[in-house]
Amino acid sequence: MRVADLSLPLSLAALVAVPFVFGDFTAYQIGLFLLYGSVAQGVALCWGRVGILPLGQALFFGLGAYLGGGALIRFEHSSILLYPALLGAVLAPATVAGAIGILVFRRNVGSGPYFSLITLALSMLAYQVALGADWLTGGYMGLNGIPPLPGTDPWSTLYWVILGALVLSTGVLLWITRSPLGQLLHAVSQNEDRLSFLGFDIARLKALAFAVSAALAGMAGALYAAQQGIVTPQVLAYVLSGELLIWTAVGGRASLIGPAAGAVLIGMLTSNLRDRFQYWEILLALLFLAIVLFAPTGLAGLIAPLLKRLPKRVHAMRDVERPLPDRGDMPMLSFEEVRVTIGSVRILQGLTLELKKRGLHCLIGPNGAGKTSAFNALMGRLSVSGGRITWGGRDITGLPAHKVARLGIARKLQVPAIFHDMTVGVHLDIALWSGGISARELLSQRSFRYRNEILGVLKEMFPFLNDEEKRAGDLSLGHRQVLEFALSVIARPEVVLLDEPCAGLSTQETANLTAAIRKIAGRFDISALIIEHDFSVVEELSDHIFVLHQGQTLSEGTLEAIRADHKVQAVYTGGTK
Amino acid sequence: MDASLFFLLNMGYGVLTLALVALGLAVIFGLLGVMNMAHGEFIAMGAYSAYAAQSAGLPLFVSLPAAALVTGAVGWLIEATVVRHLYKRPFDTLLATWGISILLREGIKLAFGVDYKSVVEPVSGSTGVLGIDYPNYRIAVMAALLVCFFLLFLWYRKSHASARVRAMIANPELAAIVGINTKRLASLAFVIGAASAGIAGAMLAPLVQIEPYMGINYLLQSFFVLVVGGLGSFHGLFIGSGVIGGVASTASAAFGGTGGYVTLLLISILFLWLKPEGLYAGR
Repeated sequence: MRVADLSLPLSLAALVAVPFVFGDFTAYQIGLFLLYGSVAQGVALCWGRVGILPLGQALFFGLGAYLGGGALIRFEHSSILLYPALLGAVLAPATVAGAIGILVFRRNVGSGPYFSLITLALSMLAYQVALGADWLTGGYMGLNGIPPLPGTDPWSTLYWVILGALVLSTGVLLWITRSPLGQLLHAVSQNEDRLSFLGFDIARLKALAFAVSAALAGMAGALYAAQQGIVTPQVLAYVLSGELLIWTAVGGRASLIGPAAGAVLIGMLTSNLRDRFQYWEILLALLFLAIVLFAPTGLAGLIAPLLKRLPKRVHAMRDVERPLPDRGDMPMLSFEEVRVTIGSVRILQGLTLELKKRGLHCLIGPNGAGKTSAFNALMGRLSVSGGRITWGGRDITGLPAHKVARLGIARKLQVPAIFHDMTVGVHLDIALWSGGISARELLSQRSFRYRNEILGVLKEMFPFLNDEEKRAGDLSLGHRQVLEFALSVIARPEVVLLDEPCAGLSTQETANLTAAIRKIAGRFDISALIIEHDFSVVEELSDHIFVLHQGQTLSEGTLEAIRADHKVQAVYTGGTK
Repeated sequence: MDASLFFLLNMGYGVLTLALVALGLAVIFGLLGVMNMAHGEFIAMGAYSAYAAQSAGLPLFVSLPAAALVTGAVGWLIEATVVRHLYKRPFDTLLATWGISILLREGIKLAFGVDYKSVVEPVSGSTGVLGIDYPNYRIAVMAALLVCFFLLFLWYRKSHASARVRAMIANPELAAIVGINTKRLASLAFVIGAASAGIAGAMLAPLVQIEPYMGINYLLQSFFVLVVGGLGSFHGLFIGSGVIGGVASTASAAFGGTGGYVTLLLISILFLWLKPEGLYAGR
């Protein structure tokens, strides 16, 4: 059995034993930190898995606590309304978080400090509102006299409900992390660009994870109200948000039960030592710093190596054949007088270029001609200041990358972009899902069993793709280039943009990849637009060539026509590398 | 008339002090790409330095250099021990400086306790300005800040140090190759950022409540200034302070403290949405 498989039942057994061994009062104390543990698990989902750091998670815990407390008071005698209202205490924080997430992430590629500071500011705001709105929240004194959950006693039996909630949150998180959705969330932290070029909406994935974490916080908050019988603005306070971060860090941000263990361990230690040992808080801050600097995986990471010998997870058999998407003629891709300016530098100066029919197209030109910039403009990564880009007559100028990708325009970057810590198998999965995946498929284990015809051909040409358990970061540069090429073509796009696909490869590897591009493109009707400097590759892969110079199309035609063109000879004397 | 003049003076005071408060964060984020989550605690340390100077019976004008010295030294120590190793890992600098903010806060609690402290104004009384009475200390602070910012602006435009800093931002590797000691320059930038926060804290000390958690609000205000103003220029800092300071004083006057805070937050999110680079992004 694997570590995670074994540690779950063991921790559960220990927690079940607590009331019998240590008595109800200790169980009551531990129960409080188990609630915080559920919140910390949500923080870990965002921080450890997706790579976004929520600094104001107490906002959602507090929201759940106020809503839950209010529901318990208001509907004390009508259980028909009580349970839906309690459910609201879980769903409302999730909705708020989802909305904040979309609002922030849509506008802000990357996971910089903006999200963290905005969540912090929001929690500060909620604290002030709770303190000020006496009529609603009871102000400084808080909501008092909250009745217990029907049929439970906060000092004894509620412990089992809290334990049940922790099992539920652990179960939900385990289910999510093992599902295709969990793999996509992890991929976000590894390489956002790559994932959005495959057509996945990063903002939605991040907002979704944030919403799930807020739902867990809301659930814990509502139970907190039932356990404590009082909710004061302290549940929203900045201090709690900070403690959540420390518990998560100590327990292990990448772990499932680590954060809950961290909450119980550090929380119990703190409540016992805070008054007796005046340097405790300083010690804790130093511990946090040490973990950030030297041991990012926390306690969970310290335990893991002890069980390293256990066999790693084997990728599922691929026995579900996915049909390739049908389609008619390729929509025409055209750049019309496209202009891109950065600062005072004019990168594209009225670039006009049309991909009229299927085939292999090469984009050549001296350095600085605007080749990669043309790709970036198409994928919405550079803002276009003039002209337009159309696809089948539709104006797609400025469309974000994932939407362009969903039209059937795939892209491979020059320096191979892959998800370093993930296995080759999961890369292939993500590529197979990139053609479109339903919500049900996102949560189904069956989605790991997909295969298609293109994957079959690729595996035949590149046997290393069969070693699906191998970590992608351990592959050689040549294999990474092939892997990223595979990522971009497996879902059968209409057009694939390849930015120097053979950069850094040996002659043999170049020949192999060139052959693969020709074969896949020809057999599956995928057009390619290839940036290339190496003329041996251009000779092999060009039905049609565009020559770019100073942000404009200088000339176009077949290789012979280009070679005979005096304008081209003047600015660009071709040769092999 | 009197009320509106009073309001205008308050607004001017708000904008100028906000620019001072945000300066340290702007310097460190703009030059080093580090979002210094301990910025507020540096301001708190400055305020506590002023309090310590007063408690020790020292004349109050000593508190400014004392605050700069203390925060600058702590800043240097933090840069050398923690931040320096994380320049290539922005996510970790966020976490590490956040951890440092807890450390500093707990240190302050240990040294001074959790209760409110206050510092007596070095200049007392008030002066009649166009028919209204305005506190002398506020007028002195405003005048001093105007002079300081003007000098800073001149220095930034003219001096070689600023050219080196700008070179380091534009291309750290190239700057190192042409003989600029980027390591020392980075350390210096961090120290200057920390010291300016300390000065801000000491200067504001007579006018605010001093307590261990006071820093967090300064951090957020400064962050809002950066969001609105954009990074890496003096213009951005002042435009941001103008917008945020102006909105804060207007909205607080109109809707009260919480309402003012809500307005600030909404405006910042709006800016993040509409102008993610800020109003003045040019470096």
